[in-house]
Amino acid sequence: MKTAEIKQADAPPLRAQTAVKAISILGLPRGTAALFGLVLLIFCNVRSDAAPVPTFEKDIRPILKAHCFECHGEGDLLKGGLDVRLRRLLLVGGDDGPALVPGKPDRSKLLKMIESGKMPKRDKKLSPAESALIRKWIATGASTARPEPTELSQGAGITEEERTFWSFQPIGTPKAPKTKASNRVRTPIDAFLIGSMAKQKLHFSPEAEKVTLLRRACFDLTGLPPTPEERVTFLGDSSTNAYEQLVDRLLNSKHYGERWGRHWLDVAGYADSDGYSDADPPRDYAYKYRDYVIRAFNDDKAFDRFITEQIAGDELAKATEATAASVAVATPESRTLLIATGFLRMGVDGSATDALSDPDAVRNQVVADTLKIVSTSLLGLSVGCAQCHDHRYDPIPQIDYYRLRAVFEPAYDYKKWRTPTQRLVSLATDLDQKKSAEIESEAQRITREKETKQMGYLTEALTKHLETFDAALRKPLRAAYDTPLTQRTSEQKALLAAHPSVNISPGVLYQYNAKAADDLKSIDAKIATIRSQKPIEDFISILTEPADHLPITSLFHRGDYHQPKSTVLPGGLTVLNPSGQPIQFPAKNPNFSTSGRRLAFAQWLTSNTHPLVARVLINRIWLHHFGRGLVNTPADFGAMGERPSHPELLDWLASDFMQHGWKLKRLHKLILTSTAYRQSSQRNPQQERRDPENRLYWRKPIQRLDAEAVRDAILATSGALNETMFGRPVPVRPDVYGQIVVGEDKTQGDNKMPVETTLNGEEFRRSVYVQVRRSRPLALLHAFDAPVMEVNCERRQNSTVATQSLMMMNSQFLLDQSARFAQRLVREVGTNRLQQIQRAWQLAFNRNPDAREITDSVSFLEKQAAYLLSLPPPQIDAKAKKEIKNQPESKITPELQALTDLSQTLFSANEFLYVD
Amino acid sequence: MIEPSNLPFEALGIHSRRRFLARNAMGVGSVALAWMLGEEKLLATPPNVPRNPRSFDLKQKVSSIPPRAQAMISLFMHGGPSHIDLFDPKPELTKRSGQDYQGDITFSFVDRASKKLFGSPWKFRQHGQSGTPVSELLPHFASIVDDVTVIRSMHTDINGHEPSIWFMNTGRAQPGRPALGSWLTYGLGSESQRLPAYVVLTDPGGHPVDGVRNWSNGFMPPLFQGTVVRSAEPRILNLDPPSHLKGTLQEQNLNFLARLNQAHLTRHPGETDLEARIATYELAARMQTSAKEALDISGESLSTKKLYGLDQPETREYGTRCLIARRLVERGVRFVQLFVNGQIWDNHEGIKTNLASCCRKTDQPSAALVKDLKARGLLDTTIVHWGGEIGRLPVTENHGAAEKAGRDHNGQGFTSWVAGGGFKGGISYGETDEFGHKAVINPVSPNDYQATLLHLFGMDHTHLAFYQNGQSQHLTDGKPCRVIKEILRNA
Repeated sequence: MKTAEIKQADAPPLRAQTAVKAISILGLPRGTAALFGLVLLIFCNVRSDAAPVPTFEKDIRPILKAHCFECHGEGDLLKGGLDVRLRRLLLVGGDDGPALVPGKPDRSKLLKMIESGKMPKRDKKLSPAESALIRKWIATGASTARPEPTELSQGAGITEEERTFWSFQPIGTPKAPKTKASNRVRTPIDAFLIGSMAKQKLHFSPEAEKVTLLRRACFDLTGLPPTPEERVTFLGDSSTNAYEQLVDRLLNSKHYGERWGRHWLDVAGYADSDGYSDADPPRDYAYKYRDYVIRAFNDDKAFDRFITEQIAGDELAKATEATAASVAVATPESRTLLIATGFLRMGVDGSATDALSDPDAVRNQVVADTLKIVSTSLLGLSVGCAQCHDHRYDPIPQIDYYRLRAVFEPAYDYKKWRTPTQRLVSLATDLDQKKSAEIESEAQRITREKETKQMGYLTEALTKHLETFDAALRKPLRAAYDTPLTQRTSEQKALLAAHPSVNISPGVLYQYNAKAADDLKSIDAKIATIRSQKPIEDFISILTEPADHLPITSLFHRGDYHQPKSTVLPGGLTVLNPSGQPIQFPAKNPNFSTSGRRLAFAQWLTSNTHPLVARVLINRIWLHHFGRGLVNTPADFGAMGERPSHPELLDWLASDFMQHGWKLKRLHKLILTSTAYRQSSQRNPQQERRDPENRLYWRKPIQRLDAEAVRDAILATSGALNETMFGRPVPVRPDVYGQIVVGEDKTQGDNKMPVETTLNGEEFRRSVYVQVRRSRPLALLHAFDAPVMEVNCERRQNSTVATQSLMMMNSQFLLDQSARFAQRLVREVGTNRLQQIQRAWQLAFNRNPDAREITDSVSFLEKQAAYLLSLPPPQIDAKAKKEIKNQPESKITPELQALTDLSQTLFSANEFLYVD
Repeated sequence: MIEPSNLPFEALGIHSRRRFLARNAMGVGSVALAWMLGEEKLLATPPNVPRNPRSFDLKQKVSSIPPRAQAMISLFMHGGPSHIDLFDPKPELTKRSGQDYQGDITFSFVDRASKKLFGSPWKFRQHGQSGTPVSELLPHFASIVDDVTVIRSMHTDINGHEPSIWFMNTGRAQPGRPALGSWLTYGLGSESQRLPAYVVLTDPGGHPVDGVRNWSNGFMPPLFQGTVVRSAEPRILNLDPPSHLKGTLQEQNLNFLARLNQAHLTRHPGETDLEARIATYELAARMQTSAKEALDISGESLSTKKLYGLDQPETREYGTRCLIARRLVERGVRFVQLFVNGQIWDNHEGIKTNLASCCRKTDQPSAALVKDLKARGLLDTTIVHWGGEIGRLPVTENHGAAEKAGRDHNGQGFTSWVAGGGFKGGISYGETDEFGHKAVINPVSPNDYQATLLHLFGMDHTHLAFYQNGQSQHLTDGKPCRVIKEILRNA
C-alpha cells in the first residue's frame, strides 16, 4: 500500500473550489432505486405464487388485505360503505355502486381507483405488478377458489389459503431419503442435502483439512480459538473418531455456554440497563439471568424446560408477588426458577423515570416490547404488527395479539404497575436485616452529631465574618441571621439582602472555612463507611404476579390504550388451531394462587405439537452453524419471510429434536459431525454457476468472527484472557474522548477527567461478561456489529467497514494486546526469531507457517527493527510515554517492537478474523 | 416507497433505504469512528430489520428552507467573559462605580459577595463604519466589527456554568441531551467523505468544564457524537496512528498485512468479503492521509500564519486551532467547536490581569479567522460564533485589594458575537440595563439563538425532530423562541 501515491490521487477538494454544492444530489436517485427495488420484490413474490388463472383467495385477497382491509373490511366503520373482503361483497359494492364487474376490468371501479392512484389513500400504493394481477383476475372472470362463505365474522378472518401456509402446518416426521453416495452420508442431514443437491447436479465439497476443522469447531462451539493443548491433542489423534471426540470435548467445555448463551441473549434482548431515559439507569441484577442462561446451556437443560422456566418459572415455583422473597431463599432450585423469568424483564423499562408525561404509555410499551421478545424469539412471527390492526400479511387478527397480551396482563398490569425497583426481590435473610438496622441506627447517631457540629461551624463562621463589619451593624445582622426565615421582619430581610455575604449556609460554608467544610466532609465519609458495612443486600430481578390478580385485558382500538374495546381472554394464535377456533387458555388455574396463564402458554409452546417453536429454534441453531438459515428470515416465518430451502430437513431436525428431549448438545453434535459441516469452504466455479448463493450447502461458507469472538480471540491469543465466569458485569465508561471502553466510570475535577483505575484483570474477561449499557455500547464490540438493544436482536449485521480496520490499526486495545502477544512469544519461546514466528502462527492461525511466510516474517521483523535502530534516540516526552501503556520505555527494544508489530498484523489479518 | 425528501424530519419508513442501498452507493464514509460506523453499516444491513427500524446516516440532507450557511465554527468561551468590560459599555456604571447597587442580585460566591458597583477599568472606542463600541482589550476584534453582529442581550437566567453551557449547547439546562453539533449533523449530514462532520478542537491545557459531555450525542446514536481532535498526537482517536507507529513503521505493517491477506485470498479465491476487508485497510490508510493533510498547516503561507498570530507565543496555540478550524470547514466539516482550557474567563478575582490575558490569547486568532474566511470567500456560508454561557456582574467581588477585584457569575445578561453565514455585519442587537446586569431590550435566549442558527442552515427548529421514546425532541426543546430575523441579511 503506497500511501504517498494515494495522497496525490485523493487530495480532497476544498469547499471554496467547488463553490456551493447542491445538497440534493442524493435524494432523488436513492428514492428511485428504493421504489424500483420494492417493485421488484413484490413482483417476484407475485410471480412465483401466481397461478395461470388467478383466484381471489390465493392471489387477490393478500393484496387487498395488505392495502385495503383496514378501511374497507376490518374496522367498525366501512369507508364509503365498501367491504372488499370477499368477491361477492365487491360485486355488491359500496355507496357508489358495484366495485367489480367480472370480465370487464375497465368498468370495475376497484381497478379504476387503484390504477388512478386515488386508492389507497396513504402513501404506499399498489405496485404495477399488483394492479396488473388484479386486472388479469377481473379479465379472466374474477374467479374464486371455492364458494365464498355466507357469513363473515369481524376482522380479516383467516382463509384456507392462509391456514395452509407452510409454517402453520404440523411438523412432519419425514424419513431421510436413501442415497447412493453413502460414503458422504454421515448423518440424515447429509441424506436430505444430497437429495436436494442431486436435482441440481451438485455434490458436497471435499472434507476440510483437520486443522481447519479444529478452528471451525472451536470458534463455533466456544467462541474461542483452540488452545495450544487442544491443538496438539487433536492434531496428534489419528483415531477415526478423533473429530467426534473433539466435538464432545468442546460441548463439555464451560465456554460452550458462554458462546451459545450469548446467541440466546441476543434474541432475549439482554441488557444491563433500563434504557428509555438519558440516564439509562443500570440494571444491577440482570446479570443473574445472563448467568442462568449460560448455566442452562452448559448443563444442556432440555430446551422445552428452558422455555417454560423463562416464561413461567415463578409459577413452577408456586411463587406470588408476596411470597417471592421467601421462595427465592428457600432452595437454590426455586431461586433459579425465579431468576429464569428475567427473560421477561429484558425489555426497555422507563417506568421509573421521573416526571413522565404519560406513564401509562411507557408501561404499555414495556408490555409490547416483552411480547415482541417472546414472539420473535419463540414464534418467529412479527406478532407485534397486530397490535394496532389485523396483520397485513399474516393471518394474525388483532384480537390474537390481545389474547397473547392477556397471558402477561396479570404480571404486567399497567393499571397496577410496579417499577423496575419494585419488581426486585430481596435475598436478604432476617439476620441480615437485623444487622442492617443496627448499623443504620449507628449511622443516624453520627449524622446527628455532624449536624450539631455543623451548627457550631456556621455560628463560628458568622462571628468571624461579622468582625469585618462596623461594630454597630454586627448585632442587628446576627439577630437577623438567627431569626428563622419565616419570622424575619422586612427590615431584617432588607438588611441581609444588603449584606449578602452574611447569608452563610451549609452549602457555602467551604467559602468561609474550608477546614470546617473538610471536617464535615470527612464525617460524611465516615457515615458512608459505616453504612457500607451493612450486609450487602442482594436482589433478583424477576417477573411475578400478585395472588388472584386477574385484570381485564381489552383490545385497544388502533393499539391506543385510551380506546379499550372488547374484553379479551388469554389464548394463542388462532391460525395454529386446525379447527379454526381460537386457542384459549384458562383465565385462572385453580391449583395456583397466580393465574397460571403463562404456564399454560409455555405448555402450549412446548407441547411437541406446536408447529413454530421447534422449527424456529432449529433454524436459529442452523443459522449460527452455517451462517445461513434453512429459513433465512429467522424472525419471520410468515408470508413476508423466506420459504424454507429444505422444508423436509427442517421438519426432520425439529421432530428429531423434540423426540429426543429437546437437547441442544445432541443437535449440535448431529450437525457438527455431518458431512455438510465438515466440508471445505473452497468455492467451485462449476457448482457456483448452478447455485451461486450456496443455498443447497455444497460447501461450508466462511464466516467472520462476531464481535465477542473478535475481542475474545485477541485476548486468548495474547494470553491476557481471564476465564472467570459469571457475576457482576465488567463495567464500561467513556474515555477521555467519549469513546466507550472497559473500566470503572470514575471522574475527577470540574472537567470530569476519567480516573484510571485498574480492574485487576477483570478488564480481560470474556465479552459476554462486559456490561451491556444500552447507551454505552463498548466501542470495539459495537464496531464489529454487536447489537445495541432497542428491543432485541433477531439477527446481527455483518459489516465490513474501514472503522474496523482503523481500530485494528490504531486503537489502544489492539496496541496493548499486540504488546502482550509479543511478550507472550518471548516468554514462551525466547528470542529466536524462527521459533517466535512459528509460535505466533500457531497461536493466531492455529497452524504452522509455510516457508514463504517464514521468510516474509523474518524479513519483516528485520526491516522493522532496522528502521527503529536507524532512528535517533527517542525523544518521547513524559506525556506521550504515559500513553504508551504497558510499554515501559526501558523494555521496548527494537526487536520487541518489531515482534509487537508482527503480532498486531496477525490480529488484523483476514485469516484471524475469518473462520473457514 | 419513496422517502420524504425532508428526512430525517420524518423518521418514518427509513428502513426501506437499508434494503435497497447498493453496497457502494456512498463510496467512502466519513472518518471518525462512531461517525463512520452508522454510515457504512447502512450498506451491509441484511433485509431483516428489527422493530421500529431506524437507521441513521451522514448523507447530505435536503433542507426545507434554502440554506444560507453550510458550516459553523463556534469559538466557545466558557467561564463567562465579562461583557461589560469587552462589548457592552455602561457609562452609568462607570459613573456610579463604588456606590451600592440597589437591585436584586443572585450571587454564586456569597462569602465574597458585595453590592458595590464596579465600573469597567477599560476604555471603549467606536470602530469601523458601523461605529461599534469595543473595549481596548480587543484591538483585533475592533478591526472586524463591520462583519459582525454583536448580540448584547443574551441570557440564560441561570448563574451556574454547567447548566448554562447545557442550555447554550443543547437547548435545555439539564445534562444528557445532544449537542448543537449533533443536531446540525443529524439534520444536514456530512459534506465531507473523509472527515468527521462534527469536530471538537480541545485545548492542550485540558478539557473544558463538564468534560466529554460537551460533545455528547445524548439520546442520538453515537454517529452524531463530536470527534475530538487533540493538539498532541495521536490527534484523532483511532484515526491518527500513535506516535511510535506513525509513518514508516505502520506503512511496513500494512504492507506486510497486505501480503498476508493476499496469500490468504489466493487460498480462498472468489471470497468477496475478504476482498472487501482488504479494501477497507486501503481506505483506512487513505482516511489517515486525509486527516493528516487537513491538520497539517505547514503549507499555509507565512502571512496567513502571521495573521493568526502563530509567530507569537501567546497566540500560537489558539491561533493554530483557529487555522485548523478554517482548514476543516474548507474540506467540508460541518461543525467545529473550539474549547479553552478550564475556566479561563471565570474572572472571580484579579480581573484586571486575568481578563487581559484571556484576550491576548484569543482576540487576534478569532478576528483572523473571520478575516481569513472572508478573504477566501467562505464567510458567506460559514457562521463564526464567539461567546460563552454567562456574563459577569456589574458589582465587585471584593477581596479588599483593588487588584484582586473580580466579578461573579451573571446569567441574566451577556454578549456573544456571530459573523458570516447570513448574519448581518456591523450591527449590535439587544441591550442590557444601564448597569449591564440584565438583558432588557430584545433579549435573546439560548433557544432563540439556536432557532436562528437552524434557520440559517435551512431548517425550521420546530420541524427538526428526533424521535425518542415515541416523542419528538427538538433542539429548542419546545420552548417559546423565535428566529431573530432582525440580525439576518435579506431576511
